[in-house]
Amino acid sequence: MLLLDYQNVLIESLLRDRFAPDATPSSIDQVVSDFDNVTFHISTPNTKTQILVSIRLKCYPELLQYGAQAVLEREYGAYIVQPEAGYDFSVQVDLEKLPASQEERDDLIRRVSLLKRNAMAAPFEQAFDEYTALHEEASHYTSESAPQGVKEGGAVRAIHYREEEAIFIKASHDRVTVIFSTVFREETDRIFAKVFLQEFADARRRAIQNAPQVLFRNDPPLELQGQTGLPKVKGEMSYITFVLFPRHLTPQRREEVISHIQTFRDYFHYHIKASKAYIHSRMRRRTADFLQVLRRARPEAEEKERKTASGRTFRVQG
Amino acid sequence: MSQSLRPYLHCVRSTLTAALSLSDFASQASERHNVPEIEARSSPEVILNPLTVSRNQEERVLVEPSVNSVRVSIRIKQADEIEHILVHKFDRFLTQRAEAFFILRRKSVPGYDISFLITNFHTEEMLKHKLVDFIIQFMEEVDKEISEMKLFLNARARFVAESFLTPFD
Amino acid sequence: MANQTPAVVMDNGTGYSKLGFAGNDSPSFVFPTAIATKGPAGSGGAGGGSGSGRPAVANKPTFLTGGAGPTGHLSGKRGTEDLDFFIGDEALSAAAGPGYGIHYPIRHGQIENWDHMERFWSNSIFKYLRVEPEDHYFLLTEPPLNPPENRENTAEIMFESFNCAGLYIAVQAVLALAASWTSSKVQDRSLTGTVIDSGEGVTHVIPVAEGYVIGSSIKSIPIAGRDITYFVQSLLRDRGEPDSSLKTAERIKEEFCYVCPDIVKEFARFDKESDDRFRKYDVKFPNGKTTTVDVGYERFLAPEIFFNPEIYSSDFLTPLPTIVDTVIQTSPIDVRRGLYKNIVLSGGSTLYKDFGRRLQRDIRHLVDARIKASEARAGNAAKSGGLDVQVITHKRQRHGPWFGGSLLGQTPEFRSYCHTKAEYDEIGPSIVRRFALLGGPGST
Repeated sequence: MLLLDYQNVLIESLLRDRFAPDATPSSIDQVVSDFDNVTFHISTPNTKTQILVSIRLKCYPELLQYGAQAVLEREYGAYIVQPEAGYDFSVQVDLEKLPASQEERDDLIRRVSLLKRNAMAAPFEQAFDEYTALHEEASHYTSESAPQGVKEGGAVRAIHYREEEAIFIKASHDRVTVIFSTVFREETDRIFAKVFLQEFADARRRAIQNAPQVLFRNDPPLELQGQTGLPKVKGEMSYITFVLFPRHLTPQRREEVISHIQTFRDYFHYHIKASKAYIHSRMRRRTADFLQVLRRARPEAEEKERKTASGRTFRVQG
Repeated sequence: MSQSLRPYLHCVRSTLTAALSLSDFASQASERHNVPEIEARSSPEVILNPLTVSRNQEERVLVEPSVNSVRVSIRIKQADEIEHILVHKFDRFLTQRAEAFFILRRKSVPGYDISFLITNFHTEEMLKHKLVDFIIQFMEEVDKEISEMKLFLNARARFVAESFLTPFD
Repeated sequence: MANQTPAVVMDNGTGYSKLGFAGNDSPSFVFPTAIATKGPAGSGGAGGGSGSGRPAVANKPTFLTGGAGPTGHLSGKRGTEDLDFFIGDEALSAAAGPGYGIHYPIRHGQIENWDHMERFWSNSIFKYLRVEPEDHYFLLTEPPLNPPENRENTAEIMFESFNCAGLYIAVQAVLALAASWTSSKVQDRSLTGTVIDSGEGVTHVIPVAEGYVIGSSIKSIPIAGRDITYFVQSLLRDRGEPDSSLKTAERIKEEFCYVCPDIVKEFARFDKESDDRFRKYDVKFPNGKTTTVDVGYERFLAPEIFFNPEIYSSDFLTPLPTIVDTVIQTSPIDVRRGLYKNIVLSGGSTLYKDFGRRLQRDIRHLVDARIKASEARAGNAAKSGGLDVQVITHKRQRHGPWFGGSLLGQTPEFRSYCHTKAEYDEIGPSIVRRFALLGGPGST
């Protein structure tokens, strides 16, 4: 597996099973986690045909502030129900009132399984909109004469989606900057991360000219000046900045770009772990090789004696 | 093999071959005990002078001979942070499996990455020159393995970065 | 508990892996413990320079698949074949196509191939469960008599590769006992009992006293789910049914089979009320054709091989109840009463209707006969108070160990029983040789 999925596999497979024409409805009650401290509750509280999917996010109040409600309403519309107690947002799918065509059903499955992605997408969408507005405005000025507000760009949107980590998004008239802060507690991870980040930063120069610019540093970048709630620890914190250029911000690209950039943190951590797993298997192999060499140092005299002994018994019997 | 590695390994090989003339030696300090003298250090007269073979500042081998045991400690080249952490990981991995390696010491001598303890019991049941071969081969391969792992890491990082950024293209 | 992330429970068995989160009543994912990797077939230069965005998969099998000794590694440096694999059902379908070879990293309950297992876990965690292991505690299972080195290797992987927050490794049989607490027949939540674990490959009878497995008394029986399927298949073939594929046999086994109290009577009953007893099974072929298979005596004959193995196999002839009795009789005398009282079923092959009832009856017969004999030998001077034999059947039998793990993993004190990453870093892999007994005496 190279890239992480955007959707939750469990929700997807559960719904797919239930949506199948010959499926018998049965009760479900599962509390499952997703990346980034997200908790889902999939249940059939009333009848077996009504599947309730609830989500809890650590940063939901922040997301609401950045317009999550509107995004979720747009995506789920009539399926939205009163949030279940203890959760932030719920959708309910009634198996008896499913859309008729297979495409519509697939689309519904896709949308529900992307619940986390859609909730997290709100601040991105807002920032992209802001960029469009600023871009529009900035086109009336030359770069020198632009008023302060346009030059500087909008406010920083912070999403503290994990205990110590956050995403910051800032729009300006010619770009949207997305900053991830992430922690590496383990020494090995920290060093591996450095190697990886260096390659992220270089990739644009080397191979993919149109990719967003990637920068990384260990202290908060300039964009985050004045932000509160930044952790004080220095050194183990990494700030990774993605600069999205206008070509990434076009309405056609936007959905994909948002989905993709959201997975960055987990993608990054996943690959560090996968590399460690690979290194483990190399070491296992190498250790086995060393053992073989060492075993050669043992003379095989005993082995030979046993053979002659058994040979002799053969002769006696034969 | 690079030009400077050959004489280095050659020197280690001769040193080890010379040091590995071990004989059974009962402890003089406690009755009916037979311990590796190089570890016990209870009788100074049976411990020989330790010897260091250095290739450069980073790579060296410490050979500590005694009448019934030899301790060989290796410092593996580690030019940067990445190599350092890889060496550390590899050492941990090997020492975790020390049981199978007979001569591997579970803890390395301070200042070195990995230590072997060869006693007269080992030389009695294993062929001496093969043991030396093992250590030499270990030294050769460990360097190679570390640099390959480093190469792998860089290549993987590049691949991962490019794969992530490609969808933006 | 509100802010705590649920513990991840993974029960990796020989046939199937059960993955999910503690607190749920069923695993989120159940799929074969299989991994499909790029086969060694095909070699050539590693694809392309760094210019291409996503280079072709370097098909140079690195030394991992190659022979011993050093090889030229440079061509493998861009190797990404370790990322190119599938697990579970996807592995099976990938292996059906070209290019992939299937591997089963677990054999006889124990992990054989650590490289594959490590990747299997990696994919389980990141693709299916979708969790950041640093945020979650993990509960893994192991078979009885697992060597401590295997535990250490597991810990090495879980902590060093995945940095998981905490780890607990429990014995499957003990978890199966814990799972039986949901049954109404169980009054005290003790961890003493005999576990009959019958899966796809093998059936184990494992005595557990106070949470510790009595290793010397464990017995295995080479009869389990697969054998029942084969037996059904052979019966279908003998009768010349239109379809006798393994898949059909398996479906018939799962849908129609049950355990009868007495075979002779059951045969008679089948002949008398044949309309009621004989069933039909509709086979749907993938190509759209259908056919109908009659289902007859195999309904009760198939599970009967546990109780009368001679009808199926010629080299293993001891019935299951006798084995259970022997296992308990070879256990220490002071726990035998507890072992008889709490015989717990676990695994898919114990799900046949009335399996527990028949087993209980047969074991009770054996025990009563022995008591009677010993009373007679004592000249009927002393009367025995009798021995209580009870076989527990419960709803969570199928994924017993997983459910037990889920039950224990959600308790508030679970985390204090785990070894954490910090402890591992401090002490090293040997830390997992010992775990405090979860759910044992003293805990709720």
